[in-house]
Amino acid sequence: MDGYIYNWNVVWQSLPELRQGLIITLQISIVGMALAIAFGLIFATGRLSQYGYIRKISVGVVDVSRSIPLFVLLFWIYYGLSLKFSINLTAFQAGAIALGITGGAYMAEVFRGGINAIDLGQREAALAIGLTQSKAFFLVIFPQAIRIIVPQAVNVYVGLLKGATIVSVIGVADMIYVAQYVSLNSFTPFEMYSAVGIAFIALTVSIAGLAFLLEKRLNQGRARG
Amino acid sequence: MARSLILKELMKQTMAEALLQIKNVTKQFGDHVVLKDVNLEIAKGEVVCIIGPSGSGKSTLLRCINFIAPPDQGEIVFEGKTWKKFHSAFNVFANRKYEAQLPQLRSEIGMVFQHFNVFPHMTAVENVMLGLTKVRGKDRGSSRKIAEQALNQVGLGDKIDQYPEKLSGGQKQRVAIARALALNPKVMLFDEVTSALDPELVSGILDEMRRLAREGMTMVVVTHEMNFAFQVANRIVFMDQGKIVTTGTPDEIRNTTDPRARAFLSSILG
Amino acid sequence: MDNSQPFFDFGPIWDSRWLLLEGFGIAMFSAVAGIFFAIVLGLIVALMRLSRFKVLRGIAFVYTQLFRGVPLYVLILWIYFGLVYAVGIDIPRIPSGIIALALLNSGYLSETFRSGILAIDKGQREAGEALGLRKWEVTRYIVLPQAGRIVVPPTGNQFVDAIKDSAILSIIGVPELMKIAQEQANLFYRPFEFYTVAGLMYLVAVMLVSRGIFILEGRLARYSRSKGNDESSETAPSASGVSN
Repeated sequence: MDGYIYNWNVVWQSLPELRQGLIITLQISIVGMALAIAFGLIFATGRLSQYGYIRKISVGVVDVSRSIPLFVLLFWIYYGLSLKFSINLTAFQAGAIALGITGGAYMAEVFRGGINAIDLGQREAALAIGLTQSKAFFLVIFPQAIRIIVPQAVNVYVGLLKGATIVSVIGVADMIYVAQYVSLNSFTPFEMYSAVGIAFIALTVSIAGLAFLLEKRLNQGRARG
Repeated sequence: MARSLILKELMKQTMAEALLQIKNVTKQFGDHVVLKDVNLEIAKGEVVCIIGPSGSGKSTLLRCINFIAPPDQGEIVFEGKTWKKFHSAFNVFANRKYEAQLPQLRSEIGMVFQHFNVFPHMTAVENVMLGLTKVRGKDRGSSRKIAEQALNQVGLGDKIDQYPEKLSGGQKQRVAIARALALNPKVMLFDEVTSALDPELVSGILDEMRRLAREGMTMVVVTHEMNFAFQVANRIVFMDQGKIVTTGTPDEIRNTTDPRARAFLSSILG
Repeated sequence: MDNSQPFFDFGPIWDSRWLLLEGFGIAMFSAVAGIFFAIVLGLIVALMRLSRFKVLRGIAFVYTQLFRGVPLYVLILWIYFGLVYAVGIDIPRIPSGIIALALLNSGYLSETFRSGILAIDKGQREAGEALGLRKWEVTRYIVLPQAGRIVVPPTGNQFVDAIKDSAILSIIGVPELMKIAQEQANLFYRPFEFYTVAGLMYLVAVMLVSRGIFILEGRLARYSRSKGNDESSETAPSASGVSN
């Protein structure tokens, strides 16, 4: 080819739609993250249960959720489950749930890792002064574990943000969806996808930056020693 | 010398009601049996030092007393009440009920650990207050007063609002002692509390323990500090491989005929 | 809905079994090829990141931020649809997919390799240099072999992620497992059955690969211990929290 004429104008013109798409991406990823935290807590506490069968089920669910591609899970929920059980889910809901389950599996590991990282002696000391199991957990273990959990939770969120891009396939109007139909009409896939790519990179980098600041704040002196 | 005579008299009087009884306690972790049918009685005001090689189960025994690691078999009788391990594989409510009673036992028994285990996310005074506010349910005002007093008693009056990371090992251990004492326990358990300290800080903690003994606290002390044990204990217990091999007054132990005890003592005392 | 049919209708699954297996094969092929190139690229970038030259370090840094920040989906669309217009190269489907997988995973792997290399005690380098080896020889014969062992688990995880990510290739029409499952699901009007089966096939693949990595780790650990190394640091920080 002699020279491709880059048509960046299309990008500028689509900014409003792209912005709208970005909002949807953020919404679905945040809802997904909230679900992921909820599921993660459930799976993690299940894993720590005194009852063998609850432990085994929790481990099983986490392993399965981590082994199945998000894409397959999404279609399974949106097309498979809804048809079989006649539940009507919107694409957004199905996407959020799929993200929640996948994210939940990772969050379960994050919670577990953070809690296990706290020295066993802390739990012993807490019990020794007469705290109940739950008070020992909330007053002593959890405040210390949070320091370790938060940065990793942010990592999981970034993963969900990137995973959320798939929901455009089932019709959620996120940034990619916008880029797709704009580029279809104006023959500018290069420009549009580059723009979306850059947007994601900017998002990821800024979240990483925020996480770094957050980590510094959490680490200010107190929770060590 | 005189002290142990006086205490022998006291013991004869209170023998009928031993404060703490360890009866037929057995404990295992997986396949490894750590404690085998251990029996021990501890009278009020007695200072019992447990000595023995590593792995003999001394620390585990302490943890059985306050049920942090409940004995698999056997029971603990404390102030007349019997405690046994309970766990149902299915009955959640029974388990919860059982768990809810354990804090009563534990708050009457104070424990100080080898690695201090002070809570790093709280100041010294908050560490000491935690038991008072959350276990005894006292209000913050009076809890704080009691906590400050406890810290004063262990010589940390000027470190009340410091975070543990700013404190030396010895100071952290004092916080741990104050934390346990604040709840006014009937018995204090000490698990090798000087083993992790720099040598120059050890005597400070031992002095604290001597003070408590003088004040009449009932103490069960697992230690490697032989001088301390022989000076302060009313009774010394020698454990090996999960069993109590021999017990007696410091003099009796010094002259013991048991071969394992002899071997241990000569390797330590030279 | 359809009360005359059984809850899980195996018939269509059985009829499509060969298609599904072919799709599975293509998915695995793409994942393996993708990871292979990702390892090569990742190693190069990691070494660049550790080099003495600021320029190389800078390029490597940008590279990792770029490919760790961009979603796979966007990357694939960009390569398959975008490049045609801009650069005039029409990359066919499967290669597009493999390139996308390779680029994306190389971003994470370069961080993994970098951590692994940094994790090797400086003393090892010093000992090597004291023996008279040159800097690159120390890297090649002393540091990399040890780093290699540390790096196996995270790389294995990356491979597992690549297997899962291969599902996204269906969007550009690569006839891998997900695409086949979609087509058949639409053909027979049995999405639940087909997506369940597809999910199970990925599950099996992931579990087998994970087990294989576990065994590999075990073998490598034994090897290093018997050689009389005094510390074996089994864990390297994993660079990616989540796939994609």
